[in-house]
Amino acid sequence: MLSAALLSVMTATTSAQWLSIPLPGTPRTPDGKPNINAPAPKTADGKPDLSGIWKADTMRYNDNLLPPGTEAPMLPWAAEVYKHRVATMGYDRPMTFCMPHGVPDNMTVAGLPFKIIQTPNVMIVLFEEFHVYRQIQTDGRALPIDPDPAWYGYSIGRWDGDTFIVDTAGFKGVVGDNSREGSWLDNNGHPHTDALHLTERFRRTNFGHMEMQVTVDDPKAYTRTWTSDTMRFTLQPDTELLEHLCENNRDLTSLQQYWKGQEQAAPSTAGKQ
Amino acid sequence: MRTRLAILMCVASLAASGRALAHHSFAAEFDEKKPVSLTGTVTKLEWTNPHIWFFMDVKSPDGSVTNWGFEMGGTAQLLRAGWKRDSMKIGDVVAVDAYRSRDDSNRANARSVTLTNTGQKLFAGSQAP
Repeated sequence: MLSAALLSVMTATTSAQWLSIPLPGTPRTPDGKPNINAPAPKTADGKPDLSGIWKADTMRYNDNLLPPGTEAPMLPWAAEVYKHRVATMGYDRPMTFCMPHGVPDNMTVAGLPFKIIQTPNVMIVLFEEFHVYRQIQTDGRALPIDPDPAWYGYSIGRWDGDTFIVDTAGFKGVVGDNSREGSWLDNNGHPHTDALHLTERFRRTNFGHMEMQVTVDDPKAYTRTWTSDTMRFTLQPDTELLEHLCENNRDLTSLQQYWKGQEQAAPSTAGKQ
Repeated sequence: MRTRLAILMCVASLAASGRALAHHSFAAEFDEKKPVSLTGTVTKLEWTNPHIWFFMDVKSPDGSVTNWGFEMGGTAQLLRAGWKRDSMKIGDVVAVDAYRSRDDSNRANARSVTLTNTGQKLFAGSQAP
């Protein structure tokens, strides 16, 4: 009753924004509501179809990729960088400068969803935050050799049963003593270098739910590979992404002023590799 | 109208129960241990991303007026929480629950905004837990 009323309010107040718009291909219960517990859809070739608008169930993954109570096996320099980022509350994370989250943490921003469009030869991921995208090539190509380092790296995907496995390499990373080059693995600030190789495993468990784990292999920053917590995502039915460009960044100046003052009061040597 | 208001308030409380998003670190700029509740007259609204900002004049008991700036979520986030771009207009009197900035300037991160002419209370996108 409440949700029916909610739907009518949303339709009445926001239909012009496509925030509430019935999408074709959505399985529905007899009362017309999206059936998020229906089986996962399949493509013509019988593979699961990950297409849809998804939102992380919690900001916890975005804060810290690791399972609760565990720590990443960081090399000493990486541990110093991480410690400094935590101590300064991540004030100089890429987003402060209107640079985006990266892989995988752009998917874990719970406040802003992302949209997967699965096609036969490429999977496209559109991120609402900052209007950025990612391409996962599924035409059988190999990862490039010696690619130009990129914020999102280069991604290839393949199916192992119902699990979609994505390999990504060719990232920009921490170079020398510049700890601001490239993305952070999470908001707490787990760093990575250009040696990063990520393996993501996606599984759409039913129409409305998807889970993913990522394995981090970066021998320049970590003593061994490590695997994230299992991250869970819920489909956002009958809606669309909206624009989110960084047009009015009022936070940068005040953050820099405040934290430069804090750091001058307690200087740190973190960031030296 | 009454039903719609009740539902919007429900949306607001649902949204407020989970952490929302700031594009930068909420904790680095604002202090959840410094809650402020202020009522004033809207002087400026920037319906923009990555954050909406609005400014309002707050009158002190001694008659002096201070202009405060409030950060909210982005446009998509607030539209999903029931806002429209004209929900709040210049000259409106609004009551804000917010968290003040760490540097103690007259800036704060708004958690909810109540439009006093209608009583409508809207989630404002605060990232605080």
